[in-house]
Amino acid sequence: MTAAEQPSTRKPPPKHHGTRRLGMWVLGWQRFRRNKTGLLGLVLVGIVFLVALFCPLLAPYDPNDQSAMLEFRSKAPPSWKNPLGTDRMGYDVASRVIYGAPTALVVGLGSMAVAAVIGIILGGFSGYIGGMADEFLMRFTEFFLVVPIFIVILVMVRIFGIVVVGTPLEEIPYLNLSTIILILGVFGWPPIARMARAEFLRLKEMEFVEAARCIGVGRAGIIFRHILPNALPSLIVIIALGIGGSILMEAMISFLGFGDPKAISWGQLLSFNYEFLKIAPWASIAPGMAIFLTVLGFNLLADGLTDAFNPRLKE
Amino acid sequence: MQDDLIRIEKMVKFYPVMRRGIFRSKQTGVIRAVDNVTFSIRRGETLGLVGESGCGKTTTARALLYLTAPTSGRAHFQGTDIIEVFERGAKEEILRIRRRLQYVFQDPYLSLNPRWSIAETVLEPFRVHRHLPENQWDDRLMELLELVGLEYYHAWRYPHEFSGGQRQRVGIARALAVEPRFLICDEPVSSLDVSVRAQILNLLIELQEKLGLTYLYISHDLSSVRFISDRVAVMYLGKIVEIAAVDELFARPLHHYTYALLTAIPIPEPDADRGHSVLKGEVPSAVNPPPGCRFHPRCEAALPQCREMPVELAPAGDEHLVACHNPR
Amino acid sequence: MTAIAPHNDQLLAVKKLRVHFFTGAGVVQAVDGVDFAVSPRETLGLVGESGSGKTISSLALLRLIPRPGKIIGGEIIFKHEDLIAKREEEMIKIRGKNIAMIFQNPAYSLNPIYSIGDQLGEILTWHEKLSRQAANERVAELLQLVGITDPFSRLRQFPHELSGGMKQRVCIARALLCSPPLVLADEPTTNLDVTIQAQILDLLQELKERFHMSMILVTHDMGVVARMADRITVMYAGRICETATARTIFENPRHPYTQALLATMPRVDHSYSDGKTRRLPVIPGRIPNLIEPPSGCRFHPRCPASDDECARILPELLSLEEGHWVSCIKAG
Ligand SMILES: Nc1ncnc2c1ncn2[C@@H]1O[C@H](COP(=O)(O)OP(=O)(O)OP(=O)(O)O)[C@@H](O)[C@H]1O
Ligand SMILES: Nc1ncnc2c1ncn2[C@@H]1O[C@H](COP(=O)(O)OP(=O)(O)OP(=O)(O)O)[C@@H](O)[C@H]1O
Ligand code: SF4
Ligand SMILES: [Mg+2]
Ligand SMILES: [Mg+2]
Repeated sequence: MTAAEQPSTRKPPPKHHGTRRLGMWVLGWQRFRRNKTGLLGLVLVGIVFLVALFCPLLAPYDPNDQSAMLEFRSKAPPSWKNPLGTDRMGYDVASRVIYGAPTALVVGLGSMAVAAVIGIILGGFSGYIGGMADEFLMRFTEFFLVVPIFIVILVMVRIFGIVVVGTPLEEIPYLNLSTIILILGVFGWPPIARMARAEFLRLKEMEFVEAARCIGVGRAGIIFRHILPNALPSLIVIIALGIGGSILMEAMISFLGFGDPKAISWGQLLSFNYEFLKIAPWASIAPGMAIFLTVLGFNLLADGLTDAFNPRLKE
Repeated sequence: MQDDLIRIEKMVKFYPVMRRGIFRSKQTGVIRAVDNVTFSIRRGETLGLVGESGCGKTTTARALLYLTAPTSGRAHFQGTDIIEVFERGAKEEILRIRRRLQYVFQDPYLSLNPRWSIAETVLEPFRVHRHLPENQWDDRLMELLELVGLEYYHAWRYPHEFSGGQRQRVGIARALAVEPRFLICDEPVSSLDVSVRAQILNLLIELQEKLGLTYLYISHDLSSVRFISDRVAVMYLGKIVEIAAVDELFARPLHHYTYALLTAIPIPEPDADRGHSVLKGEVPSAVNPPPGCRFHPRCEAALPQCREMPVELAPAGDEHLVACHNPR
Repeated sequence: MTAIAPHNDQLLAVKKLRVHFFTGAGVVQAVDGVDFAVSPRETLGLVGESGSGKTISSLALLRLIPRPGKIIGGEIIFKHEDLIAKREEEMIKIRGKNIAMIFQNPAYSLNPIYSIGDQLGEILTWHEKLSRQAANERVAELLQLVGITDPFSRLRQFPHELSGGMKQRVCIARALLCSPPLVLADEPTTNLDVTIQAQILDLLQELKERFHMSMILVTHDMGVVARMADRITVMYAGRICETATARTIFENPRHPYTQALLATMPRVDHSYSDGKTRRLPVIPGRIPNLIEPPSGCRFHPRCPASDDECARILPELLSLEEGHWVSCIKAG
């Protein structure tokens, strides 16, 4: 030890339980902060979250307020009264777009939560156990990857919508939206599973994992204390990408008219207004921009996270 | 022998060679990474294990600690058959063995969990073994860090804040936390800067003197092996070809491979005998090792029987074992 | 007086070379005022620990510094011309033809998708304007020379079909294709086993004599330079500590770092089991960070002979005696 490294004062003794566990995260954040595009993504995503949280405060009108229609102000251009204009049914576009934010986030986060649980369990199991189980699970994943999901989802949403009619299930609020979220999750796990498998494969051979086995740490300890936390950064990146993807997917489903009629979603606003694109362009452009900025935000965020946590780009 | 701490008997480890098919993988052969290896390590000594890349040094050590399950063979620690314990023993029994045998890894950049502070890493063994009441952990942590030449304030830092030499010290502290009797050091200095290597080698010797440890020191760097070892075993293609006391081996190598290895090392002296390398060709593959003596295709003194008759370690002089039909 | 005056008989003279890396964390002063020279038919050993700037110094000779690095000063006089002033098109003609490089990791320095014959032949058709047929023959001849048996069938093989030692032989053959007067070998044997290393070193020695080449051998292994080099330059933290003939470096090192480096390495030819306590002399501390290198002499925080002056004065490379250059204010 060189003299220069000696601290001037002694710090208090360390606490071994609950010591700050943030080494990697702090380091990652320092690198992330230097990444302009990543920060832009974070800001965009942050705005969407804030809007979603405070939509009743931010929206000038109730989302179901059609009073403009009565004043013959449907399809009105942006004005002081209606900052983004009104659409063909007299809804205030700004309010509708603002109320679309929570829907988009619920779809993105919900479907990816489902996908992450399935993907991490299957992928982690596959990578950690290896052998025949791995072969089988990977083939299974590949099968899901080659299926044209979008069409399958449309079909399933429609069939489910029909099957449910007349059953008590019909009473559940936002049933259609929940179905979409669930299906997006069930079909969205393969990339996460692949990443989890690759990370588990890589990490289980790492010397620090071997060192833990040497000390006598059990299987659960190795998976949950050593491997999973180290796999998390990569998984978060791919989940962030997936959130953007799901939001886009839901917008496409709604745009094609397969969405939940009771939920306010950006895709539905588009589908609702695109025929009047020439007469009231604002009613289509606003939800379109919302989709674009949100998806872009998540993708940029994922990009920034990759740079921040990818050790190969260190120095 | 009475004072053997570790005895490895007929240790074998084969790895399957797989070819990936469309539906399932097929095994097309085996890598004979470790093939019938027998040796013992005495209490308090350092046994050096040398050999070229891929000859099976690491695999031997990993099989000994059951980090990979050996294909067959026994390993005894103070008379207990530890492979038997690892395979069938109760959890407490396995933990008891794990406490006594520890491993120091080659790459200090890979062997520490990057998300854990040094304190967490060094204290993990305490959490697993619970051999100390929790209120003594901090004191013990301080002692351990001091023992390996780190400062107490280092405990809050994370691996990326350390140099390679310091990380290797942390790795050693973690291994010492369970009060082991036996330490495997697998190339502990080869990824360190030249000027830091001496610091770690000195530390290992100091710890051995203080704590009465026994080492298996694995390396392909013969100069550090010469410095740290009491006895040396030479490995070639999964087999031990020679074992002797360190000075004996360096002065009178009996196996032709040992001799070739020794002459191949460049001596840091401008007028050193610039003898030409005696060894032609390269190490054959461990998938299809040559029959008979595995070294015969490259050996200048090979006899006809070397080509067919396998050869086992046999005594040749005072505590000197060699596996050669025609020793030098 | 310039530290190492360019004589007319020098093939290469590097003067006050400085290469800095402009990274997000700061400016890495990787090579900071380095002087050395190579005479025809001479092997110069460039030794030093990891990160001391050996690779960057030799890449600078080819003007192949990776981004974000830049040559920010100095001269590289090769055959009486300053390479730093040359345009990129002129450099392309020098690389491979006049100065060739052998890399540390043979696995990465051959292109996996081309056969050996194609990769090596291409260099000849480009630099020497040989026909395909003539190029192939010349390649086969060189492969034979570097100890590869049955060279014509090897021409069709791909890098992954060769062992590490074999690949390094191919890389050596590639470096020699245009008979360059100067070869840079960057740790050519570090990734190889000792017995293969011995074969490759023998081969390099033999080829060097046969082709009348000069060689810069970059390594951190004092044994390798002792065996190969005529003269040795010792680097530490981006600067030169000492340059002298190999014998002088080993028998009469004058820079404290050279002395410490030699003392700190265990020796194969030395018995340590004589009963006395076994300890190696150590260099305390560790290699400095080159973003904020120590003031004055870069080695002073670790140097046993240092005092206040060392922390203030940046020592110049000065001649102690004929051909022996040391940058230490205490060595005079
Ligand atoms: N997990 C594995 N799967 C398949 N083959 C393996 C595995 N681990 C090692 N091997 C093979 O076993 C042989 C011995 O490897 P080992 O790592 O024991 O060599 P080593 O002597 O430690 O070499 P080095 O000096 O390069 O560390 C090699 O041929 C290697 O390719
Ligand atoms: N791309 C880069 N960006 C920033 N710094 C760099 C880069 N490449 C090299 N350096 C710095 O330049 C210095 C010299 O590096 P160089 O590769 O020349 O060392 P070396 O002496 O060849 O070491 P080694 O023995 O490890 O090969 C090092 O401190 C390194 O950190
Ligand atoms: S100048 Fe001073 S600090 Fe530098 S090497 Fe010489 S004695 Fe040591
Ligand atoms: Mg190994
Ligand atoms: Mg280098």
